[in-house]
Amino acid sequence: MKHGSISKLLVANRGEIALRIIRSARLLGLATVAVYSEADADATHVAAADEARLIGPPEASQSYLNIAAIIEAARATGADAIHPGYGFLSERPEFARAVAAAGIVFVGPPAEVMAALGDKVAARRLAAGAGVPVVPGLETVEERAAHEFAARVGFPLMVKAAAGGGGRGMRLVEAQAGLAEALAAAAREAKAAFGDGRVFLEKYLAHPRHVEVQILADQHGAVVALGERDCSIQRRHQKIIEESPAPGLDDALRARMVEAALKVARAAGYRNAGTMEFLVEGGEVYFLEANTRLQVEHPVTEMRFGCDLVAEQLRVAMGARVAEPAAPRGAAIECRIYAEDAEHNFRPATGEVHYLNLPAGPGVRVDTHLAPGARVSAFYDGLLAKLVCWGADREQVRVRMAAALGEFSLLGVTNTAAFLRDVMASEAFRDARLSTRFLEQFFPRWSPGEDALESLLAAAAMAAGGALGSARLAPPGSSWARGALSDGARTGRGRRSPWTELAGFEPWGREER
Amino acid sequence: MKLKRQGDAREFEVELLAQNKPDTGDPSGPRRVRIMIDGREVAATIAAMPDGSAMVELGGRRVRVAGARRGSSITVAAGPFAAEFVAVEGRAAHRTGGLAAPEVDAPMPGKVLKVLVAEGQPVEHGDPLIVLEAMKMETTLYAESPAIVAKICVAAGQMVDHGARLIELSPAAVPAKPPESPPQAG
Repeated sequence: MKHGSISKLLVANRGEIALRIIRSARLLGLATVAVYSEADADATHVAAADEARLIGPPEASQSYLNIAAIIEAARATGADAIHPGYGFLSERPEFARAVAAAGIVFVGPPAEVMAALGDKVAARRLAAGAGVPVVPGLETVEERAAHEFAARVGFPLMVKAAAGGGGRGMRLVEAQAGLAEALAAAAREAKAAFGDGRVFLEKYLAHPRHVEVQILADQHGAVVALGERDCSIQRRHQKIIEESPAPGLDDALRARMVEAALKVARAAGYRNAGTMEFLVEGGEVYFLEANTRLQVEHPVTEMRFGCDLVAEQLRVAMGARVAEPAAPRGAAIECRIYAEDAEHNFRPATGEVHYLNLPAGPGVRVDTHLAPGARVSAFYDGLLAKLVCWGADREQVRVRMAAALGEFSLLGVTNTAAFLRDVMASEAFRDARLSTRFLEQFFPRWSPGEDALESLLAAAAMAAGGALGSARLAPPGSSWARGALSDGARTGRGRRSPWTELAGFEPWGREER
Repeated sequence: MKLKRQGDAREFEVELLAQNKPDTGDPSGPRRVRIMIDGREVAATIAAMPDGSAMVELGGRRVRVAGARRGSSITVAAGPFAAEFVAVEGRAAHRTGGLAAPEVDAPMPGKVLKVLVAEGQPVEHGDPLIVLEAMKMETTLYAESPAIVAKICVAAGQMVDHGARLIELSPAAVPAKPPESPPQAG
């Protein structure tokens, strides 16, 4: 990767993370370029950047995943660096390679490091070779060897795709009878989904915690760790609540885990920001996988360390050296608010923001791209907002988070805020009974409590009876009547004025001051 | 009025009984209201906020409330909780025309896989109308009563949002004009 300065950064992403990256780039004095699909012409990240380029139709495969279009946008605008954010192209070695080949700085690890760690089998070997424990496993699709392995470690077992990720390409095997079939099916699925049919077997841990270590590495060989995050609370193998420090974790175990993360990063020749994920069970730590990008939950670390990880990424990409971080303070929690229906198995929702109230207060941070009038479509990931709180200790931050979620109010898009509020208020969370089975164990079903239902019904009666709100115009572009307005008032969806965009930006800007 | 909450089998009976004028002379000052919820009377105070929401005091709780209406659908937020209600009475009115529901809307966002009927086609109760795909699962929507397909609003392959109009139906036999009255309360 070339050394030297960056003057203009293209952000190859959308949503809250695009805004987040633009903000840090601006703090470093960099000019910014947003890219957007036809579905995002009105999006906040487009308005926030100095320049913006349309890169394709709404489908991600033709826009945010279109390597040629993104590199062309960088060329056309004179951007000399690209930040991939998370998701989309962030962990595709071919993207990092194409960016470098175009003479543009890629804000992330080199393509070959990404490729080596992105392959789960290769990453396991690398970790084991560095003396880091991995979950007992076996690389094979051969039935006899698989049966011998099963006899040794016992069922259940997990069949995983070497090229898988984000919970895809995984298959649980409960007993001997299903093993051969699972191996064959997983290989078929992996071949179809990733073009790579290699699978491996792992012992299935019953109640593991998912804990990860934040890494930052420079181009001069220095690697530092910025503490851990417990990300055990997941649905569909995807995180929704993360916190730091990992509560109740033994200091010696934490130290071993941080040391293991540094070993893997050094062995891989890692550069820039990354995360080493571990499973923790019964006093043992096992390396799980590496995430070669900025994580969604990075603000949890920022709150405790008082740092700006995106700024650090940019500095490292410009050749700066990383320093040992200052000691972390207090505790932090992040809750991810998704456009999903927590009452119905987290099925995805879409809609338009008719009303939005964002929380504020001591130790409260909101990362969101939402603004009144914003549309949430089915084209992209449904992350609406990240609420991140800091407190002197876990109990203070837990109470702050519950209160912040209580202040969050969004009309027009079904979302998980109320569910998260109930999780924060639960005894199970208060007592930190964390494992990746937390939700199935303590929240197998959820619906609003009686008080909440009464409030909703009263609100419905008021809305129907015209007793709500003063007579106000519906937000521009809205197809809904709001407050006490008459039925079915449809206004045309025109392009919003820049002032509307600015107003939508304000709650977010206010937060930072 | 009778309300059904999206995704909830129960029906609720709610009514705004009385609305007092603001206690102070200020027309935008707080108002006291009485609401009937499933036969139980509750008192509440409503203070309109400049951002279009209202601070509502109800049963000792203070909650920020916002609401919007479209046709027979009411969507509300009370603090972090939100819900979509459909006025069931509106449907009952349509039943005079022999229709359980005059339109078929998408119950979730997704892709239209197949349209199984054509405009002008008569359908019986239980006939499949349209197949949607969401989260890699196929969902078939059926006719809830005998009807004639009046209008098809989508095409196969199209992405639709939650609540998008898919098909409009008209009564099957005697053409009785369905009353186009949105629900009124209070």
